[in-house]
Amino acid sequence: MRGLIALAGAGLVGALASGRPELALIAMPFLVFAGVGLVLAREPRLAVEIELDRTRLLEGSDAMATVRVRNDGGGPVQIEVALLRSRNLTLDPPGAVGILLRAGGHSELAFDVRPQRWGSHAVGPAVVRARDLLGVTTWEGRLGGRADVRAFPREQRLRELVAPLRTQPFLGTHVARVRGEGIEFADIRPFRAGDRVRHINWRATARRGAPQVNDRHPEHSSDVVLLLDTFEEARDRAGGTLDDAVRAAAALARACLARRDRVALVDFGGTLHWLEPAFGATQLYRIIDALLSSDIAFSYAWRNVDSIPLRVLPSGALVLAISPLLDERSLAMVTDLRRRGFDLTVIEVSPLDHASPGESGDDAVAFRLWRLQREAMRARLQSLGIGVAVWARDGDLGPALEGVNRFRRSARPAMRA
Amino acid sequence: MLLAALAALVLADASTASQLAWLGAAVALVFLAIGMALGSASAVHVAVAVLGGIFLLRHDTRLLLAPVYGAGLLLVEDLAIQTIELRGVGVVALDVVGARTAGVLAIATIGAVAAAAGALAVTAAPGRSVALTALGALAAVAAVAVIAWVARRRYGGSE
Repeated sequence: MRGLIALAGAGLVGALASGRPELALIAMPFLVFAGVGLVLAREPRLAVEIELDRTRLLEGSDAMATVRVRNDGGGPVQIEVALLRSRNLTLDPPGAVGILLRAGGHSELAFDVRPQRWGSHAVGPAVVRARDLLGVTTWEGRLGGRADVRAFPREQRLRELVAPLRTQPFLGTHVARVRGEGIEFADIRPFRAGDRVRHINWRATARRGAPQVNDRHPEHSSDVVLLLDTFEEARDRAGGTLDDAVRAAAALARACLARRDRVALVDFGGTLHWLEPAFGATQLYRIIDALLSSDIAFSYAWRNVDSIPLRVLPSGALVLAISPLLDERSLAMVTDLRRRGFDLTVIEVSPLDHASPGESGDDAVAFRLWRLQREAMRARLQSLGIGVAVWARDGDLGPALEGVNRFRRSARPAMRA
Repeated sequence: MLLAALAALVLADASTASQLAWLGAAVALVFLAIGMALGSASAVHVAVAVLGGIFLLRHDTRLLLAPVYGAGLLLVEDLAIQTIELRGVGVVALDVVGARTAGVLAIATIGAVAAAAGALAVTAAPGRSVALTALGALAAVAAVAVIAWVARRRYGGSE
């Protein structure tokens, strides 16, 4: 508008100064345009609503955001609508959408919303820029509310899990080491007063000449504590170790709860959050909800196992520590837990995928040294009886856990000691 | 294309000042390109002003062509500004551009008719005098001042 008036003014002044009326005639359409534009322009009265067809979805899947725009003003307006969004959310179309709304008209714009990462994301409000029909005047503002969408981590289906060393006296799916009522055959022993007749092994009784009964292992559940290390992470453009760690934690929680274990969660980092052990589907939703708010919180505070409430770490629990093993405090904590007698396995979310060896020869040497250091650290943990499953990005967690189970079978005597 | 057509209109009759006309057209083209590339409306205004200035280099029928030339300049200006405004917009409905361009065409036609009436008045007017010049100056300043005052009153500091 200012530019138009300035051009028209320049034309008129030029005409007067030079005595050439042609310049005034050239400026005339600009003057008419500015005048008519101002007369016709009306302040727009717009209403915007933002609605999502789904508020809960898996990361990487799509939801549809519908933006309803209504023009309650007296004249037609050109409108550009762009949606504000969280950092890890992509929209299609990515930029603004331009439409023309007549007086009293309305329109619906559809945006594909895709969360690139798990977490709680927001869509909206809409940034709306409205112009009158001739584009002489422009209004800008933020309209509409904010719609929240929760993206759940995409989980791997786990066929094999880490077998716990100890079980709890609740019905479950693990064959307990103790003997009692169950299906799994354990041993044959002489009949004692109180044994059921149905447990008598008639063949062994006939062979030995005295009543013999079958001993069995009962099926029990175990307590599993998922320890999520949020002290530090390695991150690149494609994502970070925390992203993968949360996916692993969600998959492990689902698998453990499906085999009727009690599962607890400890988010151990700059800030400490926990969920006490519990069974069932409700606990799964609690855990996933808690995981969605996981974040790296920088802190100098030295934390150890004593910071964690005792009721969250039941005696005999299997502790699955999910960590990139980048922070000294995480290492100190896992060794401390092991020394306190916890059955511990570390799932190392490999930070190597997020680091590059560098260009120069020195960088390459440094990178190799760092890898050697990590291998030495892993060997040190294994010497303490801690199974370490290394999980690379895009890899399958199942084979990594199978490796840990192999290690635990061979290291069992040392672990019990 | 419109800019080239307007420049050609000048170059066709610039004769001795053709070099200056070429230079002006080139400068206008460069400013227009810069304005559209960088999203600068000021550069577009400068391009339009330069293009308006070189019109004086024509020898004949200036008064006759000035209204059409002015309307063409208005179209160039608005199309360039539209391009700048829609730079960040991913999807644009066809009627957005269509309705605005039709509106600007209509206004440009009205403006050209008004300018033609002005040209007639200039042709019919008696010789130049101080009083007539003062009256013209007063009318020009008043027109710009009224439009600027209305704009400021209705929309405050914003455009």
